[in-house]
Amino acid sequence: MALEDYKVDMERCSQCSYCKWIPFDQVKSWRFAKGCPSIAYNNFLSYSARGRYAVALSLLNGQSTYTDRVVDIVYKCTTCGSCDVSDKICRYNLEPLEMIHELKFRLVEDGQLLPQLTAVIEHLGKENNMMMKPGAGRGDWAEGLDVKRIPGESAEVLFHAGCRFSYDEELVETARTAVTLLKNAGVDIGIMGADESCCGGRAYDMGYKEEFTGLAEKTMKAWTAAGVRTVVTPCADCFHTFSRLYPPLGAKFEVLHTVQYLDRLIQEGKIKFSKTIPMRVTYHDPCHLGRRGEPYVPWEGKEKKVKNQIVVYEPRRPRYNGAWGVYDPPRDVLKSIPGLELVEMERIREYAWCCGAGGGVKEAYPDFSNWTATERIEEAKSTGAEAIVSACPWCERNFIDAINAAGDKMKVFDVTDLVKQAI
Amino acid sequence: MALSREAYRELEGIVGPQNISDDPALLDSYRYPLSHTAIHIGPYYRVYTPRGAAVLLPGSAEEVQGIVKLCNKYKVKFKPSSTFWSAWGFPLEDDTIQLDMRRMDKILEIDDKNNFAVVEPHVIGATLQAEAMKVGLNTHIHGPGASCSCLASATALGGLGPDTLYMGHHNENLLGVEWVMPDGEILRVGSVGSGLGWFCCDGPGPSLKGLVRGMIGTNGAMGVFTKCAIKLYPWPGPAPLPVEGKPPAYKAVLPDNFRVYTLGFPSWKAWADSCYLIFDAGIGYVAHRQFNMFGRDLKGAMVRILSDPTRTLSDIEELLKDPEVQKMTEDMKRDYQIVLAGMTSGDIEWQDKALDKILEETGGWKVKAMLEPDLFNWSLLYMIRLGHKNLNLVFGGGYDGCFGLGGTPDFGTSGEPPRVEEATAFKVEWEKKGNVVAAGGDGMMGGIGGMGGGGHALWENFTHFDPADKASTEGTFEFFNAAARYGMEKGWGPGMEKMNDYARWTDGKTTPKEIRDRILGAVAQPEAFRYQRKFKETFNPNDLGDGYYRTLDDPIE
Repeated sequence: MALEDYKVDMERCSQCSYCKWIPFDQVKSWRFAKGCPSIAYNNFLSYSARGRYAVALSLLNGQSTYTDRVVDIVYKCTTCGSCDVSDKICRYNLEPLEMIHELKFRLVEDGQLLPQLTAVIEHLGKENNMMMKPGAGRGDWAEGLDVKRIPGESAEVLFHAGCRFSYDEELVETARTAVTLLKNAGVDIGIMGADESCCGGRAYDMGYKEEFTGLAEKTMKAWTAAGVRTVVTPCADCFHTFSRLYPPLGAKFEVLHTVQYLDRLIQEGKIKFSKTIPMRVTYHDPCHLGRRGEPYVPWEGKEKKVKNQIVVYEPRRPRYNGAWGVYDPPRDVLKSIPGLELVEMERIREYAWCCGAGGGVKEAYPDFSNWTATERIEEAKSTGAEAIVSACPWCERNFIDAINAAGDKMKVFDVTDLVKQAI
Repeated sequence: MALSREAYRELEGIVGPQNISDDPALLDSYRYPLSHTAIHIGPYYRVYTPRGAAVLLPGSAEEVQGIVKLCNKYKVKFKPSSTFWSAWGFPLEDDTIQLDMRRMDKILEIDDKNNFAVVEPHVIGATLQAEAMKVGLNTHIHGPGASCSCLASATALGGLGPDTLYMGHHNENLLGVEWVMPDGEILRVGSVGSGLGWFCCDGPGPSLKGLVRGMIGTNGAMGVFTKCAIKLYPWPGPAPLPVEGKPPAYKAVLPDNFRVYTLGFPSWKAWADSCYLIFDAGIGYVAHRQFNMFGRDLKGAMVRILSDPTRTLSDIEELLKDPEVQKMTEDMKRDYQIVLAGMTSGDIEWQDKALDKILEETGGWKVKAMLEPDLFNWSLLYMIRLGHKNLNLVFGGGYDGCFGLGGTPDFGTSGEPPRVEEATAFKVEWEKKGNVVAAGGDGMMGGIGGMGGGGHALWENFTHFDPADKASTEGTFEFFNAAARYGMEKGWGPGMEKMNDYARWTDGKTTPKEIRDRILGAVAQPEAFRYQRKFKETFNPNDLGDGYYRTLDDPIE
């Protein structure tokens, strides 16, 4: 699809501003009713999905041209998909998140770039990671781990650590723990270590579609050559990329997030707890595991009208509105840990507030990113929880940074960390 | 004349550089497409409201005051809007300054002893309701739904909604007001003007509710309302609302003191009689002909789609063939929804018995399919939160209401054939042309209690079209012209579809004076608009508002 293909969406936008809020049925307070971090931080209408539709239409119609403000409007979006969920409360024939991606792709094609993102993407091309670290060190996180190395050895399940878990020194232990837990539970697991490649998903959300495609093809080729059938990842971004962005390119791998695998193993009695963790925690749904983590459904079809002017699709088009994301497995794991009390924030599941790390925002707009994370920490604190738990290293890193910047005391855990503590 | 750099710099000095912009693309996001629906004008294919000179985001009444004074100094028009739901909130002329009030979004106070809240412009129905419910109170949510500004509705617009039967119009609920007048002075209206708190709009203190508010409101054309107090009503339910389910089919399982029914009737006379009996009995918390907005023929299928997260619009044709859906649709032909909320267990029992008695007397029934637990809990949440209001636009993205049979409940239902059936038959013929959704002619939606306590009903016949389709948009416009002519010929009065023709014309800008004078001069009491002209001359000496404020400038012969 091209940006022009979304012109009818731009003209059909309801102008209702639902995209700014969480679904109204779910509003529990004034304080935590907002859904889109971009408009919440930047305030001008242009920074909502409604506004971005209008800005894109203005550009396509030649009514305006690229300016610093336009570049700011387009890139200052975490692509969290909150607008997409709220929009689809009332609409079945609009795809605001897809349009926002296309708008980013167009700016990249037209050379309207942010230097901060350019640096990251150039580094990605050379060193194969999003962390501005040397590619040669990618496998260091697994040093000393007794685990099979693919492709030299074969394993039923490939563990893909992802860029953040491979390089973030504060977080690598989580990846090591995940591998150990799965292996000890009897999973035939292997890693690619230094041969692992960036999934490309974050490049996609920044607007770099070509770079994403190159990385996807490279990864799929490597997996196919190694005989990989099942991939498990502890990273929500990688999970979304593998399960939603790769299949349209021909991928046919089974993709699981670590929390799904852990949940399965706990239910099967292959992971048992022996310790109590007397702690009150709250769970943050990563966007890429939750509302953007719905299973991919192949579809090829076209728009048609019934009853004169009702816009539908032939054949029936899959509807991605956050309803079928991965929400229960991480909660089930947490609830199964003895002593752990799970309390919910106001904005959860498909209408969770974003952590602020996505879409290139952490790299290009650190203040906005930090504010978004701080908002979530405030919400977590309002529950009385001691810790915020998640299932994505990008969310966890952004929370740690925000907490440190504020001198706060909230603890941050990955679900995996707590499972390990309880064993 | 574009805004001078000097004026821009002075405005920037008031709100700060991060809260002002004149970037062309950003300004275009503050232009309303009149092809989609102009509430109630057009639709005009690919016509937009004019581009503003700049957008400002004021953060306080003092900043608003500074902006307005500068506008007076430079003779620049300004237009405030809070939630930008319709064309009303957008400029009528090029180079107007657009005030986006979203930074002023606080609920300043909820007085649970005296049942009112003090709010800023960007407080919306959903957030005020959620906060009010925490102290056992509720707020009226007006027709455009939970996404819209409470203050804008109460101070400057219509304020009617599904719960008006119990909670009144917003103009009935307006208490103290803080008003930055068009010349930049701040006036606090009612009790707050005497430093006595926000509890009353009519004194002690300056009693100017009629001036600042009137019946329809000033539509953002007479200064800026920066705070107001709104009356709240009892909420005998939990907080927060216990919502469950997958989107968009959220449901709320409320305690047994809540009931929601879709009532069906054997005739339109029975329909109207039931309304009167409900008014007399004093029952009902929300009462509205809601789901008929999808159309008489489509509403059963749409209720099934919306209450099931696995369904999409693509299922509509299959559902229309389902005998159970057909039965449900037939049962709902002459219908409305009603929520009963008992303040005690005895109260809900009494209300339910009273309703049963009303149904017995009128031959009406509770539509059985809507009593299924899933549909019951879905429709209960829908009616109380009004968080799906923009399903108005679900089919293709465009809608508007036509006719507007406003009056006592039997105004729309009397006549032979009943007016509602006459309007339905008229629309069915236009649906055959293919430009609007074929919905069975009757898409009439509206309250059965259009004022507090009942006594008034207002139906607009929803018409759905595709704003991205030239033929559909222009065909809809032709239909609306025909509907307006038909309504006038029949003596039903001007319809909703032309409600704002007096203000905004086919190019998206101010209606030419001779047409405006003709429209406003033809209403039943045109002197009101001449009177408003005097207000405007006094309070808005530099004429910095716009034509949405109804003034009649020429003497009437």
